[in-house]
Amino acid sequence: MRLMKTPKSIDIEITNRCNLRCRYCSHFSSPGDVDRDLPKEEWFRFFEELNRCAVMSVTLSGGEPFFREDLFEIIDGIVRNRMRFSILTNGTLITEDVARFLASTGRCDSVQVSIDGSIPTTHDSFRGEGNFRKAVEGIKHLQGHGVPVTVRVTIHRQNVMELEDIARFLLEEMGLPGFSTNSASYMGLCRKNAEQVQLTPEERSVAMETLLRLNRKYNGRISAAAGPLAEGRRWLMMERARREGKREIPGGGYLTGCGGVMTKIAVRADGVMVPCGQMAHIELGRINRDSLLDVWQGHPELNRIRQRRMVPLSSFDFCRGCEYINYCTGNCPALAYTIIGDEFHPSPDACLRAFLQKGGRLPDERILEA
Amino acid sequence: MSDDLKPIANPTVVLREEFDDWAILFDPDTGNAFGLNPTSVFIWKLLDGRHTIRDIINEVQKNFEEVPDDVEVHVNEFINDLIERGYAGYEWKQEG
Ligand code: SF4
Ligand code: SF4
Repeated sequence: MRLMKTPKSIDIEITNRCNLRCRYCSHFSSPGDVDRDLPKEEWFRFFEELNRCAVMSVTLSGGEPFFREDLFEIIDGIVRNRMRFSILTNGTLITEDVARFLASTGRCDSVQVSIDGSIPTTHDSFRGEGNFRKAVEGIKHLQGHGVPVTVRVTIHRQNVMELEDIARFLLEEMGLPGFSTNSASYMGLCRKNAEQVQLTPEERSVAMETLLRLNRKYNGRISAAAGPLAEGRRWLMMERARREGKREIPGGGYLTGCGGVMTKIAVRADGVMVPCGQMAHIELGRINRDSLLDVWQGHPELNRIRQRRMVPLSSFDFCRGCEYINYCTGNCPALAYTIIGDEFHPSPDACLRAFLQKGGRLPDERILEA
Repeated sequence: MSDDLKPIANPTVVLREEFDDWAILFDPDTGNAFGLNPTSVFIWKLLDGRHTIRDIINEVQKNFEEVPDDVEVHVNEFINDLIERGYAGYEWKQEG
C-alpha cells in the first residue's frame, strides 16, 4: 500500500464524555482521556486545515459524539470544509431531530450504531438497562430519514451463542443492509473485565464457524476488519497455504497487518494527533499548533510505524519454527502494544499457532465456498 | 463551444493530489470521485474564471512536451465532461 500525500480521512474523538459505561469500552483508562472537550472553535480551525489538505472524510467517535451539545455545529464545520462524515455511536441519543439534521446535510456516509444482542437482556448486560430499546429506536429514526446506517456487533462471552439470532434480528427484522463485527479486545475497560468478556479459544472457534456460515447464508452482508470473522477468513487461507506448501501469500511474512497508517490519521479528544485511535499513546503533535502535513509526511514515529511492514516475522523469537510464518501478517500493532507493550511485534492475540496450541479449532474450509 | 469562454471550477469540488502528480477530483455532495492525469490536473488549476479555453490550450502547449496535434479537442472534451458532471461551469455575466 502506497503512502498518500495527505491523509484521505481522519478519525476524530470529538468528546471523551459518554452517557454510558459499557464494560468493554476502551475509554476511561486510555491515554488522552480528558473530561473536558476542546471548544468547537478549535475544531473549526482544524477543519480548515483539513480542507486545505484535501481530506475527504471525517469519522467522529468518542466517547459518545451525540453527547456533545454542539455536535450539529461541528458537523456544519465539516460540511463547510468540503468533507463528508461518518459517526460511531451507541445510538441511544439519536432522536427524530438528530436523524432529520443528519439527512439534511447530504454528506453523511454512515452512522454506525453498536448493537450487541437480539434482545435487551444481552445488549443491556454490558451497555446498561434500557439501552437496547433506545439504540433500536435510534436506528429506526435514521432509517426513516434515509440516513445510511450500519450496525457494529461486538462479540463477547455473553452473546457469542446468540449470533444467529442477532443476524436474523438485524438483517431480517430491522432490514439493515449489513452489519460489521469485532470482538471485545484487550483494551481499555476490557482489560479489567477480561474474564467476563474475552472469548476463550473454544468460543472463538464457535464464533468463527458461525459467522462464516451466516455470512454465506446472508450473501456476504456481514463484514469484519478484525475479530473472529476476519480471523476466520485469514486463518483458513493461511492453513490452506500451509497444506499446499505455498511459498507465501500476499502481505505474508512481514508485519503488514496495519494498512491504516498509510491513508489516515487520528486525533484524540484533547487535540493530540495519534497514528490511530487504538495507538493513542503515540503522540505526534497537537492540532492548530503542529502542521498536519508536517506530521503526516515527516513525523519519525509515524514513519517508524509505517516501516513496520519491512520487519520480517523471522526476526522474532516468538515466531521461530512456525509453519505459518510466510503467510502471517502479525496483525494489529495496537493490540500487540496493549498485550506486550511493543507495537513492533506480532500481536499474540492474533497468532494462529498459539490459538491452535490452546485448543482452538479452525472451521471446515468448505465453509468459504459459496 | 467558443474559445473565449472562461470556465471556472466548482469551488465545492476537491482536488486531491498524490505524490506522482496524478490526482482525484472529489465531489463531497455525491461522494463521487474520478482520477486525473497530470495534464488534467494542470488544466483544472487554470479553471479560475480568468483563463479562456484558448489560453488554457496555449498553456498546455507551453508547459508539456509532446503535445498531440488535436490537443484542442482533448481540452474541450475534458472541460465539457467536467461541466456535465457539475464540476465546472461558466461565470454568468450580467448584461449591461
Ligand atoms: S493499529 Fe490496529 S486498529 Fe489501528 S489502524 Fe492499525 S490495524 Fe487498525
Ligand atoms: S507464531 Fe503466530 S504470529 Fe508468528 S508467524 Fe506463526 S502464527 Fe504468525
